[in-house]
Amino acid sequence: MKQESYKKVERMTVAMRSIHWANAAFMVVAVITGLYIGEPYYQTLIAEPAVQKYVMAWNRWWHFIAAIIFDVTSIVIAYLYFFSRFEKPYKKLIPNAHNLNEFGAVFLNLITLNRKKSFDSSHSDSFNTVYFTIFHLLLFFMLFTGLQLYVHGLESGISSIGAWWPWILHVGTDWTIPVTGGSLMDVRIAHHITMWLIIVWVAFHIYYQIWRTIFWEEGDLAIVVGGSKFVKDKK
Amino acid sequence: MGKDTMESVKKLFTTQSAKVDTNRGGEYYTDLYETCRKRLDELKALPVVNNKLDFQETIMDEGLDRRDFLKWASATTAMLMLPASFTPLVAEAAQVMNRIPVVWIELSDCAGNSEALLRSDGPKIDKIVLDIISLEFHETLQAAAGHQAEKQLEEAIELFKGKYLLFVEGAVPLGMDGQYGTIGAKAETFKDHLLRLANGAAAVIAVGSCATYGGIPAAAPNPTQSVGVMDVVSGKPIINIPACPANPSNMVGVVLHYVLTGKIPELDSLLRPKFAFGYRIHDNCERRAHFDAGEYVEEWGDNGAKNNFCLYKMGCKGPMTFNNCSIVRYNEAVNWPIGVGRGCIGCSEPDFWDKYAYERPMANANIKAPTGGVEKTVDEFGLALLTAAGIGIGIHAVASAVAGKKNSEKDA
Ligand code: SF4
Repeated sequence: MKQESYKKVERMTVAMRSIHWANAAFMVVAVITGLYIGEPYYQTLIAEPAVQKYVMAWNRWWHFIAAIIFDVTSIVIAYLYFFSRFEKPYKKLIPNAHNLNEFGAVFLNLITLNRKKSFDSSHSDSFNTVYFTIFHLLLFFMLFTGLQLYVHGLESGISSIGAWWPWILHVGTDWTIPVTGGSLMDVRIAHHITMWLIIVWVAFHIYYQIWRTIFWEEGDLAIVVGGSKFVKDKK
Repeated sequence: MGKDTMESVKKLFTTQSAKVDTNRGGEYYTDLYETCRKRLDELKALPVVNNKLDFQETIMDEGLDRRDFLKWASATTAMLMLPASFTPLVAEAAQVMNRIPVVWIELSDCAGNSEALLRSDGPKIDKIVLDIISLEFHETLQAAAGHQAEKQLEEAIELFKGKYLLFVEGAVPLGMDGQYGTIGAKAETFKDHLLRLANGAAAVIAVGSCATYGGIPAAAPNPTQSVGVMDVVSGKPIINIPACPANPSNMVGVVLHYVLTGKIPELDSLLRPKFAFGYRIHDNCERRAHFDAGEYVEEWGDNGAKNNFCLYKMGCKGPMTFNNCSIVRYNEAVNWPIGVGRGCIGCSEPDFWDKYAYERPMANANIKAPTGGVEKTVDEFGLALLTAAGIGIGIHAVASAVAGKKNSEKDA
């Protein structure tokens, strides 16, 4: 057997990894609390008067906290798309010949079960970037529809932090009503279905990372923990 | 939509919110007070149109005293979101309402709004006020029939051209050239009828869910292609008072506002008066504390139901429905749907029959898959997606493992 040498490549900074794990944790929170808000699936069995238990209110509180964290990380990630100190992701989204070829090559690798691996796997490839972009778009859609649902409760047009807040929410999210189908219920249904799309996305995401780690033999899972992976050094 | 895409795109980015401005500052109200004062004096100088009932007498006849009337006036002032100083003006306006001619037509409807307008319990002031508006034409309520009725309508719209308020109840069927609904000996379609009458109206007031957004006649699959008034009439001020039936208090509110100011009240993006549709049912619901606490009725008649717990799990749509029923209630504030222990079905929202009235939580709502076909609940649909993804992943994983094994056998 010939000796294989490996080269270490940096892929994610500490900040990027923190964002990843914050997103992952709060997504779990958002799904658990969101399902409860959609249809309260457990009963409140506390023998206290209503004012003291606040079960739905806490679920909503955690749901909103998760949402605010997504808001902030989304802005940071949008910034990184253009100003990351690694290869800037937006460059991978431009459908030029190189990116299309790379996308095709990675996809082929996936469906031929790693028979053919004719691309550079040291950086975030085009396929990966497209896949992540889909996720961020889904998340943005969640933010806009979610904030639209939220602003219904601020119907007086005032809030504890001023009138600008509901105003900006209306300006920023009222378009979701006609886009999802014309009624407030459509916004809710769209918000709920998008959750399922995100769960499907996560299922494949986790699978793909594990699959890559096993078949590419480059320690891809380590990226999100230690920030780097190893690629085979072709001498 | 196709008619003027530009318009709908513009609308997309300029839709007004339901935001209610309850305090516009002293100067605004001083000005408004002056305007209303002038307007009322003008109206008083006008001859009474047709309805010669004297307001004071009617009230006395019904066994109510002036004190009741003033109580009503201050409540109505508050409902219209005007300062208390407007109370005497509102009281005066109620008394000159018979100067404003009203024409009421019915299209694809069940006459439920007319029913709401009529007294169903003891007559109270809202109802009396509606008695003394000058109702020039109302198919169900008037004595005239047939050609006589038609003649009466023609005369009314001729005589009060540009002045009358047109109340419309019921949806407008557009399918088959509108032949699904015709009226009169000449079989005028509902659409033509509406357009002709709207032409001479000062404003068109769509009452009830059918007239506002098509309501039940427009429910899927909408064989008659019914729509609401606002999709047919253009170039006229339109006010929507949805709900099934529309609350008579809100009808009175709109007419009073018009009598008082000569203008239609401030409307939201669905053309509903903000004073009535500016907030959700949920925000003022008496069961709200149970909602926040997570105390829900789990099935009809259980302990939760006996304790007036929140009806969210029984499908209450109060959190997505803008209306003032939780405050104004029905039948002179005697009760309202949630008060009697059943959830809100969102009857004042667009598409309520298809999207709100299924009496279970949203996650359990039946939706059509994007490809059409079988109806599934939202969660079933989501789970099906997830299962499909899981099967795909499983196949890929097994195939990869088998292929990997073969490879290593080859290498060895
Ligand atoms: S009964 Fe309906 S409107 Fe009232 S608190 Fe519960 S969900 Fe809200």
